[in-house]
Amino acid sequence: MGSEEQTRMEEMFDNLRADKYPLKEYTYIGKRIPRRIDGVVKAAGQAVYTMDVQLPGMLHMRFLTSPYPHAKIKNMDTGKAEKLPGVRTVLRYDDPEIPEFAPISGHTPTADEPPLPRIAHFQGEEVGAAVAADTETIAEQALTLIKTDWEERPFNLDTEAAPLQDTAIANLEMYPDSNHINEGLLDVLELGDVEKGFAEADKIFEFKSFRRLHTWVGPERPCGVIKWNGDCIEAWVKQQRPHIAKRVISKWFGGIPMNQIQVHCLSQGASFGGWSQTNWNMGGHYCAAVIARRTGRPVKWTFNRREDFYGGSMDEGAYFYKVGAKEDGTITAVWGDSILSNQIYPVFNPLKHLVENTRIPNIYCKHKVVMINKGPTVPTRCEQNSAAHAFTMIFDHVAGELGLDPTEVALKNDGADGHDMDWLNQQKAKRGFEVRDSLRECVEKGKAAIGWDEKWHPPGEKKLANGRMHGLGFTWTHEWDDSAGSSEMAIRIERNDGTATILGMGCDNGVDAESSYCQVAADELGMRLEDVHYNPQFDPGYFRMTPDSSTNMSINGFAVRHAARILKKKILEVATTPVGKSQRGEFPPAFPDAGPEELNIKDSVIFLKADPEKKMPLSELVGASFNSGPLVDPEALGVRTPFTVPLFAFGYHTQTGTYQPNQPRPRFCRQGHFMEVEVDTDTGQIIVTRVVNTNDVGKVINRASCEGQQYGGTYMGVGRGISEEVIYDPVTGVMLNGNLLDYKIATILDSGPIDTILIESGMGYGPYGVVGIGEDIATLIPTLLGPAVYNAIGVRINDFPITPDKILTALGKV
Amino acid sequence: MTDNPNKNSKYLCPYCSTQYQTFDDLKTHILKDHKNEPIPAPEGMIAMTINGGSYSLRAEPELTLYDLIHDRLGLIGSKQFCDRGACGSCTVIMEGRAILSCMALAVECDGKQIETIEGIAEAEHPLIESYAKHHAMQCGYCTPGFVVTAKALIDKNPAPADNEIREALAGNLCRCGTYPQHPVAILEAAVEKRKFPEGKKRSLKPTEDADKLSFEAVKQDALDKLKGGE
Ligand code: FES
Ligand code: FES
Repeated sequence: MGSEEQTRMEEMFDNLRADKYPLKEYTYIGKRIPRRIDGVVKAAGQAVYTMDVQLPGMLHMRFLTSPYPHAKIKNMDTGKAEKLPGVRTVLRYDDPEIPEFAPISGHTPTADEPPLPRIAHFQGEEVGAAVAADTETIAEQALTLIKTDWEERPFNLDTEAAPLQDTAIANLEMYPDSNHINEGLLDVLELGDVEKGFAEADKIFEFKSFRRLHTWVGPERPCGVIKWNGDCIEAWVKQQRPHIAKRVISKWFGGIPMNQIQVHCLSQGASFGGWSQTNWNMGGHYCAAVIARRTGRPVKWTFNRREDFYGGSMDEGAYFYKVGAKEDGTITAVWGDSILSNQIYPVFNPLKHLVENTRIPNIYCKHKVVMINKGPTVPTRCEQNSAAHAFTMIFDHVAGELGLDPTEVALKNDGADGHDMDWLNQQKAKRGFEVRDSLRECVEKGKAAIGWDEKWHPPGEKKLANGRMHGLGFTWTHEWDDSAGSSEMAIRIERNDGTATILGMGCDNGVDAESSYCQVAADELGMRLEDVHYNPQFDPGYFRMTPDSSTNMSINGFAVRHAARILKKKILEVATTPVGKSQRGEFPPAFPDAGPEELNIKDSVIFLKADPEKKMPLSELVGASFNSGPLVDPEALGVRTPFTVPLFAFGYHTQTGTYQPNQPRPRFCRQGHFMEVEVDTDTGQIIVTRVVNTNDVGKVINRASCEGQQYGGTYMGVGRGISEEVIYDPVTGVMLNGNLLDYKIATILDSGPIDTILIESGMGYGPYGVVGIGEDIATLIPTLLGPAVYNAIGVRINDFPITPDKILTALGKV
Repeated sequence: MTDNPNKNSKYLCPYCSTQYQTFDDLKTHILKDHKNEPIPAPEGMIAMTINGGSYSLRAEPELTLYDLIHDRLGLIGSKQFCDRGACGSCTVIMEGRAILSCMALAVECDGKQIETIEGIAEAEHPLIESYAKHHAMQCGYCTPGFVVTAKALIDKNPAPADNEIREALAGNLCRCGTYPQHPVAILEAAVEKRKFPEGKKRSLKPTEDADKLSFEAVKQDALDKLKGGE
């Protein structure tokens, strides 16, 4: 191509500076749009999810699960199950096609777990056998007929005690020596000299906090369907990254060519990372593929509701802190230690945000990861849970200990990599950004919205007329949805009506990114929004980032924009060159006397800039297609039409993102959240009466979708903060509350009004200055309950979720 | 006719329940005693009106209404999130009342009028447009359950107040946390419904500029429209 946009596109790879080429004006970008692209289909119940798929002759597959938290199968008798009418196949752990260890997983953690293990490392683990039957009920019934001899092993569920337990090793297969699995391995975060920092402090204090296990609760159960068409395989995946599914499948059965694999990724009843990240996601598909091949029938595998609960966030555990600060709130040193469970990927140090996001010069944190006999933990909206927890805890304790306003403490310590705001501002300017104080903007707008200055009071001092205690809390951090990723998108102009179709990978888990791509393409092409549509390619031949991997618009937005700009140039070139060229001749250009640079497009109409009355709708330019296509109208006896060349262009983008050593892309955008609560000191109930979210998203693309992430994240966060905990029986190791009656997520009544404030500083590295938003709020809000409750009752509760019993205990009432 | 040793049916007369040893005996009996009677209905059949259409269906005693409509009839708009009466995503309207189809046995619904999300959409209920317009969804898995609950509410209470809407939706779980948009969407739909009781065809293309759609704005707009409209 060699066009100017192609050169710019390549120039933007791994972008380390402000967008040099934003648009001058925006028509749809940043606005509310009249209808989200999937709105009608979802409201009308027409959206199809993998759980809805039924194919002729389809079998239903379910897994045996372990009744014990740690046990090995000695023997298994599947005879009775096999004889049950309606059962077609029982696949066993000792089947020759079940490898003992296999890289069949889609994601790095636990990559080498066998698809049907013989050893269970947590109660509820899918082990030993899978049954395929005519109905799910028969499959379930057959599972009860399998007789298994178990060798029970000692187990441990206690994160804090785990490293000391050499008799109860949680996973002898992977970590035979100790439950502490990352000694010396990415387990220390260090900046400056903490001893020196403590020596400079006016006040030093220590405390401890806990986060109990919680999980994602995807509304659609984990599931998948596999069908063989000869040697070609067809898969329906509920998977946030269908391209990984395709690559993994290509390794099965000695290798399947990529072009013989067809993947369907339908609407997904969200999983927020969740099962999309565990090897079971692909393990289930593998077992289904074996059975489908043997039976010649399509096979659907499912987990039941309870089985979805065996997996967790990566933040369960204990956190220890020692903090030194000056009287004015300047933090001089933070020392931390943490012990978190089942983080097989131990790179998420709890004090990471302090380094990325503050001027605190001296930081040290040991990050111990231990294995316990509970399910796998994976990024669960998101992997920053522990960092956001520790960050909120530390900042609110500093404010509390020094008797300062927490918003002041935040502003005092804002910075990055131990440097102050002057340094950070130099970085902004150096990279071409307008220098703005993102945190201050968040704080000022948020304070005004919640009425902070009128309402703020010392802890435990404000009793309301209704008898409840009033509390106010604040927390903040940077945004972090800015990770590594790639994207490929294409746009074509349709014949006949000149509408635009964006072609990209289909992966809808609810954030409505697809509407955003249309907004970008419409503004870039000069088309009406209603003339642009996203056409998801269910087979992931194109690659794009989904919210998975913590990044979407900053990468995909670039890809769409490049495609649109290349395409627009092409359109204008076509409008100024002869069309319908063949050996019989040619037609004159649509705009015979103009060059492409003299034209523009607005509202899907091409016009001469100097004389806008000279215009032609895009539909007219591309012309009609007749029975023999766009070239010839045979009914008119071979009369040719002034056809144009196919109008198609693609763009792509790639970035390594912010998670790099030495932070080549320091983060500039901040977020702040404010919460008002009432605490009933008789019942211990917390009533969240109001929340204000302020997020600097750099630039808003799809306003309603950004707000959706704010209030949606707030509700998820409130649930996590006040009730969500997966509870295991300490005696038997059995999960006790794997259902939605006993594991409570937030309902509409669990939060008062939520103010969603979006700030557009333009200081993101994405197109037009965007950064992400999706992971931020749900991750920060849970621990914000701590500061708000402390401000209400004047007693610290550092154990999350903050359930009523903890409040009553803290108040000395039980 | 040889007897299949695996058979589990006895040769029972469908007219009078007399039992026979062989199929041939049964056949002789029917030809002799019931020749001119109409064919009897097989056992386990139930009748229902679903979205205005009448159905005659076989239902095993353990079959839930959800399984029947979702798996058998392919009305996939009803969704199963919790599978035990805790989430509302499987809500349908039976005899004017919103019920949880995962908690109802199909046989209990014999002779009943049922309305599902498909019927609501088919009838051009303004809720569909207002949900799409106000982004009252993310992944959409719970959304039909909310719409059905809202429809039942508006049917009973054509002008619900904000707190009445919140109360009505308190049994519907949304993991994506789309809650704040639902009252907005429902309020607007309620006003539309009063203006166009028979439903109004949705245009394929959205026309309205949705740039100012706060809850307060919609409420005000709804009130204004109401003054003019009624
Ligand atoms: S699936 Fe019926 S209430 Fe949840
Ligand atoms: S929109 Fe996802 S559960 Fe409600």
